[in-house]
Amino acid sequence: MRYPKRIGRLSVPGRKVQLATAAMLVATTVAACGGGQDGASAPKAPATIPELTKDPLTLSFIWFEWPPAQALEAFANAEYTKERPNVTIKVNTVPNANWHDAIFTQFAAHKTDFDIPILDSQHIGEAVTNGNILDITDFVKQNIDVNAYNPYLLAAYGQFPQAETGKRDENASLYGLPLLGDTWTMIYRKDLIGDKPPQTWDEMIAAAAKCQADNPGVSGLAFHQANGSDAAAVTYNTVNGVYGGNLWDPKSRKIEGVLNDAAGQEAMDVLVNKMKPLTATGSGNWFIDEVNAAVAQGKACIAFNWIAASGGLLDPKQSTLGTTREEILGKLGFATLPSQKTNLVPLGGMGMHVSAYSSEANQAEALNFMKWFQQADIQKKWAAAGGVPSRTDALESPEFLNAGPFNKVYADSVPRMRDMWNVPEYARLVDIENTNVNAALNGAKTPKDALNDIAKEQQAVLDSSGSKGGGGL
Amino acid sequence: MSDPVPLTTDHPGQVASATPPEPGWSRRLSDRWLTVAFISPALLLLLAMSVFPLLWALYLSFTDYSATRGGSAHFVWFENYTAILTSAQVHLRAFTTLIYVVGAVTLQTVLGFTIAYLISRRTHGRGLLTTLFLVPMMLSPVVVGLFWRFMLDAQFGVINSMLGSIGLGQVEWLTRQQTALISLIVVDTWQWTPFIMLIALAGLTAVPKYLYEAASIDRASEWFRFRTITLPLVWPLLLIAVLFRAIEAFRLFELVYILTSGGPGVSTETLSFHVYKVAFLGFNTGTASAYGILMVLIVIVLTQLYLRYLNKLKED
Repeated sequence: MRYPKRIGRLSVPGRKVQLATAAMLVATTVAACGGGQDGASAPKAPATIPELTKDPLTLSFIWFEWPPAQALEAFANAEYTKERPNVTIKVNTVPNANWHDAIFTQFAAHKTDFDIPILDSQHIGEAVTNGNILDITDFVKQNIDVNAYNPYLLAAYGQFPQAETGKRDENASLYGLPLLGDTWTMIYRKDLIGDKPPQTWDEMIAAAAKCQADNPGVSGLAFHQANGSDAAAVTYNTVNGVYGGNLWDPKSRKIEGVLNDAAGQEAMDVLVNKMKPLTATGSGNWFIDEVNAAVAQGKACIAFNWIAASGGLLDPKQSTLGTTREEILGKLGFATLPSQKTNLVPLGGMGMHVSAYSSEANQAEALNFMKWFQQADIQKKWAAAGGVPSRTDALESPEFLNAGPFNKVYADSVPRMRDMWNVPEYARLVDIENTNVNAALNGAKTPKDALNDIAKEQQAVLDSSGSKGGGGL
Repeated sequence: MSDPVPLTTDHPGQVASATPPEPGWSRRLSDRWLTVAFISPALLLLLAMSVFPLLWALYLSFTDYSATRGGSAHFVWFENYTAILTSAQVHLRAFTTLIYVVGAVTLQTVLGFTIAYLISRRTHGRGLLTTLFLVPMMLSPVVVGLFWRFMLDAQFGVINSMLGSIGLGQVEWLTRQQTALISLIVVDTWQWTPFIMLIALAGLTAVPKYLYEAASIDRASEWFRFRTITLPLVWPLLLIAVLFRAIEAFRLFELVYILTSGGPGVSTETLSFHVYKVAFLGFNTGTASAYGILMVLIVIVLTQLYLRYLNKLKED
């Protein structure tokens, strides 16, 4: 029932609601607009580590889901807490395909639930340009013995702008320190192709072809071909390097005409017309796990995979090649990649960085952790725990060399490494390469067209940097 | 504070008193205020979660804003829209999406209606059959994608194993241009045919029985009854189901992401998957916003045309 005297006031709540709604929209808009910062650049970390908190603190990492992530969490909680008992280490993981997005969407929100993002070396440019990670140049000068490392390893996981392959620019800024070194290893069946690994790429292809012909049901080769992450792109880049090709000319930022030159075309031809026919039917979407599964099930004569992901191959529970580690090692061999016109191998692995959006206490703890982690004895312990260190003394230590049959492969590969571009446009460049190489490997494009398309599209991405409207298509 | 209002009167037959309520807080609780109070939470949620993001995306679509690069957004007016509408890459994804939507929705409609028709003719076990058929629809698309990925694996998948046992060779379901899109259509059909079936079943159950009885008396054939009674009465409901499915299929993302990642190459990249890449690989937020707005506009325009056709059908 209504009372006449209130009729005149009926519109007031309605007006108030409208006003409140409008105010909320304006407030939200202002809040959303306020997030941007002009001319973002990486903020500087202090040269000396600030005073650390005595209160309980959780130091959070973000990485993708794979065995080294669990190894790091276990190792850090066992060892770092001896020095800092109030600290708990948490390594949060996401599926590999979401790794970049999981980190950079939080960077975009200017709020992170991690303190130490573990970035692929190629992500550094994007993070630095957007001011997402701390500039630790002064911190490194004060706290890290830079002479203890192969200069290129230190540069690859921290320097921006990118270093020339094999070198480090001592005047360039550093934004990270190595966490886990990695490269590809050639995994070969000693019982099928002999104890001596092929030395050249041509020999490797011939050995794989013969092995496939001699052993029905076993494919000659297994390697990454998927169009997610950087799978197919790393495969092509590896062959490109071995056949003397270049990914780009960093000084002139030129890709067109460099990537698809004669050496690049030859590499694509070898990959699609000589290597692909030796792979299993339907392997066009294989990545790390699928290649490991093929090796563990005895379905591949020669395979290529990241060293850090190869530990499971020696687990008898996951393998049909033997009931003990020794029995498996009697059939599997691990070697550095064969050379051809050059001996280049892909640089893998990741570095540690400090989120610009963490609290000061957590940033201080992150810096302390990084200093602790780079000590000689800790690097050796990390090697013994299954990690791949970067300090030269740790790489040459028995703790590392005896920890796995592929560790010597890594140590021997360090001087041969080459990385991709670490420019801010990396995510788009690698997507273009992945999709086109995947298309060529699966018959959706001819090798020549695929390579020319990569060069053309990547060049367009580099050339359109900074242009307005329609970017990203 | 006023006394509590008694729930009963001393005199049951007496009509409730028309005396105004006591002055105090209850005086403000008019019908109007109550309405506002009850609607506000939902309204605020709608404004915050739907209206504002849509308006904000509309604003961003006219700028060169990037969520990660920071800096203020500069107006580029219609440049993002022009670039999208003239991009060969977008045209390719639009064509892929069109093939997918037409293929999946047609297959689902035919199968869904057929299953519903067969179920509707049963007198026993209809409920159990309907429930069993609905199971795929209740699963998460990510889960569906993952187990179909295993089933369609060329090396160890159960599908190829079955084909092998009858002497057929291995099919590369997810890694060949000719089969990858078909695989997506098949998986989507497996999951969403029950939706069409459910709607069609509701329509079939609602057809008055006396029409069939009259047709039987006139000795009308089964086909004649289907063509002149069943189909015309179920058709409008079926078209609504088709509309829902077409909108859903138009924004397909999960299955592509899990099953093919858009491959081989970009041959199964749909518009939604492409928007995702534009938005999160390059973080071109302005372009991605314009892309999203255009997709919404396309759905709205097509839906309007479709609804007009549906209304005309009903009037006829």
